[in-house]
Amino acid sequence: MTAPSSSRQQILDRIRAATQLTTHESAPVKVAPETNLPRTYIHHGQLTAQARIALLTERLREYDAELVECTPQAISSTIAAQLAATGKHSFVAPHGLPAEWLVPGFQWTIDHSLSHAEIEQTEGVVTGAYCAVADSGTIVLHHSAAEGRRVLTLLPDWHLCILRASQVVETFPEYIDRCPQPPALATYISGPSATADIEMTRIKGVHGPRFLHVILVRDES
Amino acid sequence: MSTHPILDPTRALPFPQAALPVLRNPQLRKNIAHATDVIEAKRDKLVAEKTDWQQLRSAASAIRAHTLENLAFYLEQFESRCTAAGGQVHWAADAAEARQIILDLLRRENATEVIKIKTMTSAEIELNPALEAAGVAVFETDLAELILQLGDDQPSHIVAPALHVNRSQVREIFVRRMGLANLSDDPEALTAAARIWLRRKFLTVPTAIGGANFLIAETGSAVVVESEGNGRMCLTLPRTMITVAGIEKILPRFQDLEVMLQVLARSATGERMNPYTSLWTGVTPGDGPERFHVVLLDNQRSSILGRPTERQTLKCIRCAACINTCPVYRQTGGHAYGSVYPGPIGAILTPQLMRMRHAQSLPYASSLCGACYEVCPVKINIPEVLIDLRAQIVDQQREQPYRLFDPMYLGMKIANLLFARTWRFRAAQRLGRIGLRWFTANDGWIHSLPGLGAKWTQTRDLRGLPAQTFRDWWAARAPHSDQPSGKEAQ
Repeated sequence: MTAPSSSRQQILDRIRAATQLTTHESAPVKVAPETNLPRTYIHHGQLTAQARIALLTERLREYDAELVECTPQAISSTIAAQLAATGKHSFVAPHGLPAEWLVPGFQWTIDHSLSHAEIEQTEGVVTGAYCAVADSGTIVLHHSAAEGRRVLTLLPDWHLCILRASQVVETFPEYIDRCPQPPALATYISGPSATADIEMTRIKGVHGPRFLHVILVRDES
Repeated sequence: MSTHPILDPTRALPFPQAALPVLRNPQLRKNIAHATDVIEAKRDKLVAEKTDWQQLRSAASAIRAHTLENLAFYLEQFESRCTAAGGQVHWAADAAEARQIILDLLRRENATEVIKIKTMTSAEIELNPALEAAGVAVFETDLAELILQLGDDQPSHIVAPALHVNRSQVREIFVRRMGLANLSDDPEALTAAARIWLRRKFLTVPTAIGGANFLIAETGSAVVVESEGNGRMCLTLPRTMITVAGIEKILPRFQDLEVMLQVLARSATGERMNPYTSLWTGVTPGDGPERFHVVLLDNQRSSILGRPTERQTLKCIRCAACINTCPVYRQTGGHAYGSVYPGPIGAILTPQLMRMRHAQSLPYASSLCGACYEVCPVKINIPEVLIDLRAQIVDQQREQPYRLFDPMYLGMKIANLLFARTWRFRAAQRLGRIGLRWFTANDGWIHSLPGLGAKWTQTRDLRGLPAQTFRDWWAARAPHSDQPSGKEAQ
């Protein structure tokens, strides 16, 4: 379908000519191993587990996201209370969500290749997360079976994310360290959908979920 | 907004003339001043709280410089990894080829409509007019781009393209184009109107076009940084996704995001992190588009790469911090630059994209104060590049036959002659003093000069020359007073 384009060769040749002419090293390097680059910025945070959670809470609240804490024993009852408080009934969940999180009393749709229209019909979504970065108030999704396909956390207007305290890191480099290999898909969510396009004022809720709720499960010893 | 801004550097007026409509429009100046004040204050506050900011800048700068030094290697690596993941990589030598590739892809899809994520690269290649000419309806989905599209206006900023439009003007555009007579000018109501307006398009249009903030060589992944979720919609719902990105958008490794994402949002919007960042790799069965195309655009970038001083232009990650802090941009706004890339970065990038044949007034649209360099998260020394581009322009002008009629050129030539010999310089000083006496008022100030000199005196006075030159004063001093006295030496 795509014949090897001559532009490809032309562009690469021009780049090679441009970089070899001006490379400071005596011999042009095909590729530097990148080990010499300065990486003296902060990699690991210094906060205690308690302070790390407090920082994440503060950041999420600044973004207008709601956060409640609970013990591992109280996950289901906390989910039920959160869902009930919305006044909504119809929720969608990724197929890998733990069964005990699908609390009774609500209409659950489980995502096994649902159509966009079917997801659009639901009022909210409940998912897990890969981890969270306290420093920037960021929830990381790698879209595993418990985190759901990308569309699942996009179309419903209300997103409840269940996060364990042991999943919270302080800095973004600590998150990268937690990845055994780079993810094929990832979404970093820092607060509900927003825009500052009108007079630089942050307005919550444009196209993504307008409401982001987080349940933080205190699972650390 | 009274005159329609032209952002094509081949047709735009020189900067000083193009700036005039804005300078004469108090509402526009107020909108621009307000927006840049807000965004700069937020940025400064969040940068100040980051104790390792300078280390992050150094790392970001080094990563970008390293990438450019090894660009061919990383591009080929990106191509092979992206292809292995089910993506298709296309190479476009210039804007025309990029447009043609995209049009061919759309034809193959039988696409009559596309939804778009904000991408300055597509504005650079003037994609929308080409799509519309081919009968493809374009729906911009970023709120600012939607405001501009519905208002038949042009972007004035690379991060917040509608920064020059205030809420009541947005309301007026939405009322007129969406038929919502009762819409208020509350930003939340305006945002809600855009949400409803675009929702059906997201769910029904099967083809999307966007850009990329980063392309990761190691994995073949692409990254889009955004706020609203329109990007996520376009990256997730359609059948086909087309990404157009400059060849310099490469990052070597996934790990490099830990540097770039920390500096980008803080610099761009004054946030610790933007609401949404999406990373995807080729095609993932069951999640997102079935077909993914990347168009890698050269369009003069490879020639910029070959010039040692100018190469750093390509380190840019399009955060716009230089634009927000620039004392010139803050007065003129973006349209005066006659390019989709305004401000200090536009002043160096646009003329180079035009092979120095157009936009020659832009390297002069700067006071060289250096604020842009100081805020740049990848340490592009913009003043250094500006000066080098000015030198290139002067070299070009030296070749022009009309140079003999250019007062600036002649003035510089004469100055060159005068400064070359002591006696000429002294004679010129003496003549100048006699000549300027005609223009010096009784209060010792020169209030108005003729010709080129009027450009100075029309906005400020010039002090008249003192009775004695420094050289005369020095020569007249007693020889022993050359030695500093003991008191002064301390």
